[in-house]
Amino acid sequence: MLRRGGALIMNHYEEAQKLLGKVLGSLGLDDELSRRQFLKLSGFSIIGITALGPGLAKGSAKPLIIMEQAEGIVLADPTRCVGCRRCELACTEFNDGKAQPSISRIKVNRNINFGPKGLYTGRDSLGNWGNGLIIQDLCKQCPHPVPCANACPNDAIVVKPPLNARVVDPDRCVGCKMCQKACPWEMLSFDSEKNKATKCFLCDGKPKCVDACPASALTYASWQDLTEKVPPRAVPTAVLPPAKAAACIDCHKK
Amino acid sequence: MSDRHDISLQTKETIIDVIAESIRRKSQAGQLASENEIFQELLNRDILKGDREESQRLFKEALEETLNRYEDLEKLPDRGEGPRFYSSQFMTQSYTRILLQKETDLLLLIAEVVRENSAVYPRPVSLDLFGDSPFNLSQDQLQGYLQQMAKEEGYRDIKQTTTSAGNVFLYSSLHLEPDYASMLAEWFDVGQFNNP
Amino acid sequence: MAKHGGWAGKVLRIDLSTGRISSEDTVEKYKDVLGGTGLGYKVLWEEVAPGTKPFDPANKIVFGTGPLAGTGAPCNGRTAITTLWPTCWPKPLVASGHMGGQFAAELKYAGYDGIIIEGKADRPVYVSIMDKKVEIKDARHLWGQGIRRTTVELSQQFGPEVCVAAIGQAGENLIPMSVVMNAYSHSAGGVGAVMGSKNLKAIAVHGTGSVTIAGKKEEWEKLVKLHLSLLGANNQHVVPSSPQPWAEYYSPGSRWKGSRGNKWGASEPAIDTGICDPHDLNTIAYRTNNAAFYLGDIAWKYTVRGNGCTGCPIRCHTMIKVPSVAAKYGISEVGMNTCGGLNFGRSFFRKFPDGARGMTSMEACMVGMHMSDDYGLWCNYSQLQRDFLKLYETGIIKNKLGEKEFNSYSWDKYEKSDPSFLFELLPRIALKQGELATALGLGTGYMLETWSLSEEEWKKDNRLSYWKMGHPKHHASEEVGQCGVIINTQYNRDPQCHSHCNFTRNGLPLELQKRLAAETWGTQDAIDALGSYTPMNIGKARMAKWSLIRKELHDSLSLCNWMGPWVASPLKERGYRGDDSMESMLYSVATGDPKSREELDRVGERIFLLHRALTIRDMGTKEMSTQHDTVPEWVYNDQEKRPAYTKGTTHLGRDDVKLAMGMFYEEMGWDKTTGAPRAETYRRLGLAKVAEELGKKGLLG
Repeated sequence: MLRRGGALIMNHYEEAQKLLGKVLGSLGLDDELSRRQFLKLSGFSIIGITALGPGLAKGSAKPLIIMEQAEGIVLADPTRCVGCRRCELACTEFNDGKAQPSISRIKVNRNINFGPKGLYTGRDSLGNWGNGLIIQDLCKQCPHPVPCANACPNDAIVVKPPLNARVVDPDRCVGCKMCQKACPWEMLSFDSEKNKATKCFLCDGKPKCVDACPASALTYASWQDLTEKVPPRAVPTAVLPPAKAAACIDCHKK
Repeated sequence: MSDRHDISLQTKETIIDVIAESIRRKSQAGQLASENEIFQELLNRDILKGDREESQRLFKEALEETLNRYEDLEKLPDRGEGPRFYSSQFMTQSYTRILLQKETDLLLLIAEVVRENSAVYPRPVSLDLFGDSPFNLSQDQLQGYLQQMAKEEGYRDIKQTTTSAGNVFLYSSLHLEPDYASMLAEWFDVGQFNNP
Repeated sequence: MAKHGGWAGKVLRIDLSTGRISSEDTVEKYKDVLGGTGLGYKVLWEEVAPGTKPFDPANKIVFGTGPLAGTGAPCNGRTAITTLWPTCWPKPLVASGHMGGQFAAELKYAGYDGIIIEGKADRPVYVSIMDKKVEIKDARHLWGQGIRRTTVELSQQFGPEVCVAAIGQAGENLIPMSVVMNAYSHSAGGVGAVMGSKNLKAIAVHGTGSVTIAGKKEEWEKLVKLHLSLLGANNQHVVPSSPQPWAEYYSPGSRWKGSRGNKWGASEPAIDTGICDPHDLNTIAYRTNNAAFYLGDIAWKYTVRGNGCTGCPIRCHTMIKVPSVAAKYGISEVGMNTCGGLNFGRSFFRKFPDGARGMTSMEACMVGMHMSDDYGLWCNYSQLQRDFLKLYETGIIKNKLGEKEFNSYSWDKYEKSDPSFLFELLPRIALKQGELATALGLGTGYMLETWSLSEEEWKKDNRLSYWKMGHPKHHASEEVGQCGVIINTQYNRDPQCHSHCNFTRNGLPLELQKRLAAETWGTQDAIDALGSYTPMNIGKARMAKWSLIRKELHDSLSLCNWMGPWVASPLKERGYRGDDSMESMLYSVATGDPKSREELDRVGERIFLLHRALTIRDMGTKEMSTQHDTVPEWVYNDQEKRPAYTKGTTHLGRDDVKLAMGMFYEEMGWDKTTGAPRAETYRRLGLAKVAEELGKKGLLG
């Protein structure tokens, strides 16, 4: 299976080298590239390659694996959260033109009453019915390997330069919800009115939620890795598409 | 010669930045800035160094230019302790009046606050007000001033009224009649809380 | 999905007698009355016959939100609950309660603008609304439990995001002085027993849908930011409570308590509320601290943070943590509420050994909230407590109670203002145990009747704040002269109107106030300085009309009555002007139905007129001036017998008040003598059918 897959990849690479030459030339990069660098670069200029060789990008056996790190992240202070949900409202109203906190890309309501654990645990609860603390759940703009992006069978989660926020490309999203199952913190939203997934994209550097918070509980900061600091909400049950799995092994074997 | 001039220009721009930032920062924190304070800050941060007289001259030049350049930066008249500065972006004129008066004549400050409240809103003033920021007077200090006022001609208009909750309010008889003042004091001390 | 912006699109109708659940198109049927109280009055007019009593199955209870509920419009989290009012005396008439919290938003996201509850279930039930799935379910396991347990159990069943509006034992026991409550501390007074009479324990709602904004999202964002920029603190007070560097003015009457040095002391670690400059929209939540406002600066140490309705940045429900009450009284150390709810417990006591702003007072508040917000007791704007004080201090309680019942209360504890006394009193009221509890639970009117006490006595004593029909004044002549009097005559309970006093108490100096008044109501004479009243004039009539219309508009749009209208703002660069067309701008962009300020005010007037029509019809008289719009004696009295309009007095002249009412009637297009609206007024406001019906009964002006 692997060899066949490998052969496929090899053929495409020869074609891709020609295209790549053009792309690299325009970028001013003329060095010989290792496969690893090629994979990295394909993340960067996937749009460029798509424009030059649509056949290559669509249904190509070469999957998208995000390598770039995000440049920014939204951080939250739970002690300042006053439970007003204006962040959820700003996220959806100012981005989607409708108030729909259930698909907000910052998630607060699920923790407001009883805290992240959800059930009433008496006086040790968090939330309005416990000690008052409200935990705001935010996308960590995960470093590689990006769970939601890697789970997507159609490479619909991409990076958007210059911030490299991990963004759902609605043109590619087929609405399978695999990304939702992949995120350990349940941060993916699904807009059933459009049948598309959506997630925090940092609002091009001016996050609406940060702007909207009346208690200064949110800040927009340089990216830092929170993936090992915040306990997960759920056990991810997504499956890695085979082509991506192959790419992982391929890359890491070297 | 031109090198020194360039350096001097650079330094001057830095000094201007610091002066502006310092005045604004202090205004935001509810304080007026004085020449000495700003000058000292520049020394502490090593922006001004070397010859004292030269530094002073440079500072004064930069200060004047700062005031001219930024609309929000204002100079208050010298009341004998040197001029004060504030930023109208962060502080209002009425607040500067309180701060200035606090430095020079506390007795007059209390009277002016009472008179202004009695005329403008109008309402009497709780003694508690003078215990809080920006007045920060202790009970003893306040009582001392009240006693002094009672003796002086110029403060004959400053009167007291006590509410049903036992709290003392001051008013100026120039602007409020006794009945009126006591009714208003009662409202602010008791009535408004009974009418949430 | 909704075709219009704002409205979710459907009004739910639930018949508890038959179990039938249906829905109607909101815009088709109710657009002309918007929602909220408008929806409530329309349903009651068309579907509830005069003569119906509050606990009859034929009574309906209408939970109404408005097109702005659930959006990002600041201060929108309100639900109006309209029904025939149990404490309205001597004859029950239409009135509304108002509830904040999470309910309005959740209902909108579930796809509904309102719920009409009809009939009576044959056993205790609750209603669950999970998006489009609406069910009537068995509540027998919840019946007898408090509001808190009910909420927690339903949350365990439906998930932590569900919003539960529930009644406690008070509502179940048909105590008229009862509430429905959601989101821990947000109650609507007076309606609990109506739900109880229908065997309706709770409504649990959760929605994952959307509320569409018709306008362009950039336009909406700009408008929301404009609104935010004009906000003050709670009650739209626009100056800080003490001198601040950024402020020209200040007022000890202002709820803008946040400032450098004042900390949310019980947050871990403590949070300084900071400068609270009005230009900083990211610190709006720090301005208001109602615990500090009512309980004194001592409360800062115990403040965890602010809390409140969905979407509102003000956070007027202060959350306080008072560790001493856990050991002393065995209750939770965390409590939260605002205004009357916060003060529920301490209002029973005349004075405390350590003063009105000491620890005992705060503990009494904690004990009070713990019980009133769980049993679901209503205070009727603290009339319950004022009545209790009068009854005790005049010896009436001792006279009316048998010796056994009288001695069953620890009056020595009460005399010492020991908060633990409340454990003896409050549960008994909720559980209807004993004569005292039963009488107090009836509401003032029926209590006076039951104990053969004179309403005239109640109307003379201005300490009681009693107005008429079993209810107290609510911001009347003691602060807004004739305008306040007019407003208080208009309803069948206390008016719950703050349009006028939000303005007069905003803290600005008189000259600025008069300038704003001139711009808004045509003349600076519309307002007087507090305690320096002048005779009636047309400006005051206009201000009264505006106040009432805006109250109904807010209740029907879903905008908070404690945070608007926005005549004034804290911004010096605007001359402290707000924008009086804030409501109409928000409405227009959100719904896509463009209305000017005047056009939307006409809709508000229509809604208010419907309330008037309902009252006239159900009273069966058009003689409103003498039969309904009455003024208690204390309004005309001064302790020291000074003439009216003397500086330092707040009483008014009889003839002047008569003039005031006449001017108001004229301003409204009502008969100048009777106060009954004329046919052409109804027609002008799109209520021709109403005029027809009233005409048949001879009830037109």
